[in-house]
Amino acid sequence: MIKCVDIVKEFHTSSGVRRVLNGVNCTVQRGEKWGILGHNGAGKSTLLRIIGGVDLPTSGQVEQDMSVSWPLAFGGAFQGSLSGLDNLRFIARIYDRDYGEMRRFVDDFAELGQHLREPVKTYSSGMRARLAFALSIAIEFECYLIDEVIMVGDARFSERCRRELFEKRADRSLVIVSHSMDFIKDTCDHSMVLRDGKMTICDSVQEGVDMYNSF
Amino acid sequence: MKRQSKRSNTLFSHFRLQYKVIHALILREIHTRYGRDNLGFLWVIGEPILFCAGVAIVWTAIRPAREHGLTMTALVVTGYVPLTMWRHCMGRAIKAYESNGSLLFHRQVTPFDIITARTFLEIIGTIMAGIMVLGGAVALGYMKPPENYGLIVLGLIYQSFFSYATALLAASLSEMSDLVEKIVAVISYLSLPFSGAFIMVAWLPLRYQWILMLSPMANNIEMIRGGQFGIEASVRYDLFYDTWMTVLLMLIGIILTAGVRKHLEITG
Repeated sequence: MIKCVDIVKEFHTSSGVRRVLNGVNCTVQRGEKWGILGHNGAGKSTLLRIIGGVDLPTSGQVEQDMSVSWPLAFGGAFQGSLSGLDNLRFIARIYDRDYGEMRRFVDDFAELGQHLREPVKTYSSGMRARLAFALSIAIEFECYLIDEVIMVGDARFSERCRRELFEKRADRSLVIVSHSMDFIKDTCDHSMVLRDGKMTICDSVQEGVDMYNSF
Repeated sequence: MKRQSKRSNTLFSHFRLQYKVIHALILREIHTRYGRDNLGFLWVIGEPILFCAGVAIVWTAIRPAREHGLTMTALVVTGYVPLTMWRHCMGRAIKAYESNGSLLFHRQVTPFDIITARTFLEIIGTIMAGIMVLGGAVALGYMKPPENYGLIVLGLIYQSFFSYATALLAASLSEMSDLVEKIVAVISYLSLPFSGAFIMVAWLPLRYQWILMLSPMANNIEMIRGGQFGIEASVRYDLFYDTWMTVLLMLIGIILTAGVRKHLEITG
């Protein structure tokens, strides 16, 4: 379970303090697949980063009793100047996983071949996405935080993600932020809508989509 | 692949995890900084060696052979090695969190680990370099072997903790204010006279000696010189003051580090 309690997040901007999240409450149970809908700048990615422990909320707290991935998005989590392999090695060490086993999975899943030896900063965004997914799936988190923008990869990659994440690991929780209705409808079984810093929990995915469209 | 959901949650397992994280950070730091191709790890030692040996050679060449009855080479080596340790630790700590934002995506990596790994590398590097330069200078006859190794080790331990404490402080303060980031370089330069690296307490008039002794680093370098020269040099250090001052700096550093994440805006 992950429980967000009264999450408030403020940013200091040149025009003063901007409150992006204003008392967000939500709960994600084991195995549930949540889609968070909201317009650009509604704070979806910020919330994902707070749940992932990258950013701290200004007030409020996140309670959790399962292992949660880092937010899978384009940026972050990798050191650009290091090769894909060195990043893999580092992540295997800090998550206490077997390097050989992880390497095999990543080779197989990401199909980066010789690119794994190149610095990550030379990767295309699609290659980064493949590496990020491969690593986080190899770590076997109990909950995955996914920023939908990262799912833009080619059909082959999407298919592989679907198989590894949504079929083989159907027991895991997912939190996906997105503005693609179809994607949310395909993958999620719950939805919530973020607007003006407040979160509305919806009874069904369709209700969330309708609410989002009515804005 | 096995699912590893049940993890033990004891204090020991936390220590073990943090140890692994710091270990991984150190290896990663070596790879990022020196690359895999060119002798990587050797550069951790090589860089400070070039620094210390270079300064020792230049000073030995251009300055009188003795100052206040002590040989110049030994004075430079005993002063410059601890100074390099401190300056490198601090330099590596400035804005360390911002430039390592990608690490903080992984929740087991804390700001504390980042500074610990960097400081550890710098301390080990400078001490190894110090040993090499000392060995070289002794072999070439520019320096006598130390009289009292115990006192040198004690001085180095104090200096390591002092460097660690200032690194924690500099890392946190530089994230909290841009002004601090700008002025740290100036401060570290202006504080050189108080470092005790180029001067000894006994060289000052008696009534001004207390000023230099306020600096923990000056106390540490006095200890190291006491170990190097033995009774040849008259050294003054205040272990009581030095201990409490270092502990105090360390505590402030730890408290700031514990709260620094609020001030970080991680990009990556």
